[in-house]
Amino acid sequence: MNKVIAVSVLGVAAAAAADVAALSLGDAAPMATVKMKSVDGRELSIAEAAGAKGTLVMFSCNHCPYVKAWEDRIASLGNGAPAQGVGVIVINANDPEAYPDDDYAAMQKRAQEKGFKFPYVVDATSDVARAFGATRTPEVYLFDAAGKLVYKGAIDDNAQDAAKVQHRYLADALEAVSAGREVAVRETKAIGCSIKFRSAR
Amino acid sequence: MAALTTPAPEPSPGRRTTGPSAVVAIAAALAALVGACAKSPDAGVARPSGDDAAHAQLVPVTAAQVAEVVAAARGKVVLLNVWATWCNPCREEFPYLVRLHRELGGKGFELVLVSADFENQLPKVTEFLAAEGVDFRTYRKLGADSEFIDGLDPRWSGALPATFVYDRSGTLRDFWEGDLSYEGFLERLEPWLNDKAS
Repeated sequence: MNKVIAVSVLGVAAAAAADVAALSLGDAAPMATVKMKSVDGRELSIAEAAGAKGTLVMFSCNHCPYVKAWEDRIASLGNGAPAQGVGVIVINANDPEAYPDDDYAAMQKRAQEKGFKFPYVVDATSDVARAFGATRTPEVYLFDAAGKLVYKGAIDDNAQDAAKVQHRYLADALEAVSAGREVAVRETKAIGCSIKFRSAR
Repeated sequence: MAALTTPAPEPSPGRRTTGPSAVVAIAAALAALVGACAKSPDAGVARPSGDDAAHAQLVPVTAAQVAEVVAAARGKVVLLNVWATWCNPCREEFPYLVRLHRELGGKGFELVLVSADFENQLPKVTEFLAAEGVDFRTYRKLGADSEFIDGLDPRWSGALPATFVYDRSGTLRDFWEGDLSYEGFLERLEPWLNDKAS
């Protein structure tokens, strides 16, 4: 990985983000069989959430203003994905001790308010987020029918104003995966809230 | 106020306690009054006077303009911190950043603060800056996230806070995501502060 090499060449003891190699395009979802508790009380894994055409894994939470700004779009894309053959799982890896708004009860409330029809689950150790190398919320990982990562990054290019979005990165990637096409823009970035990982045990 | 509740070992005890930040806030408020007389502030949004000083000094910048700010500080070690009012770890480390500015400013060090808050949150930003005693020019992110992020450093994922250290020649030397203690910042800065050659 170029980025990691660049870091070590500079002799930099880089922070959390670079400690774990982030998932690369083409990789399979790590820790895909770990069961996580969803807002409806069910325990399910990424593998169980997978769809025939692909799987959308999103790291999210309740408290983050960037999540809130995108939340209606998260609900609409997430609710629409199964009709495209894409399974959805939205994962909250934040330590609720740091952000009480991110606890399970608040997740249930948010899912109901926003009409989430997809599982919104608790990464109770934050280890799934660590294994992905996820750093922030919201952060999207889309896998194709073969389980390979074909898109990672942002939902679109304007968190603040849905009306001013020019590039619907995730919507386009979902359409491509659903049609079995190559995803055109495969990696994007956006500012987000740092995931507050639970302390490693 | 975070400066009061966050215990930070003080290398030079008595040199600076919590008092001065209040003094600075008052100074900022006074500066705002002076500024208000000197020139008419933008659109007639009523704000507390403390906000005006900070608002006037909250300069919108693209990544390219950040590079210009860093280049203009040639000869100094620059610590660039991207933060937001909604970002808790950013708020936690903020007093340490202001302290770096107070302790090292004028000694070959420059602090560049860039807020990534949404534009409709600017009153919150100026309020926070005033409360933290920031009486110097700071910046806010302008334009699309992805361009801004990759323009500063492709290693940056977009998570906040993000901190970048440039040596005296303006070369990016260090980068990290996540917050640090005051001592943590000093540790990361020391090699470049001590490096007179670059």
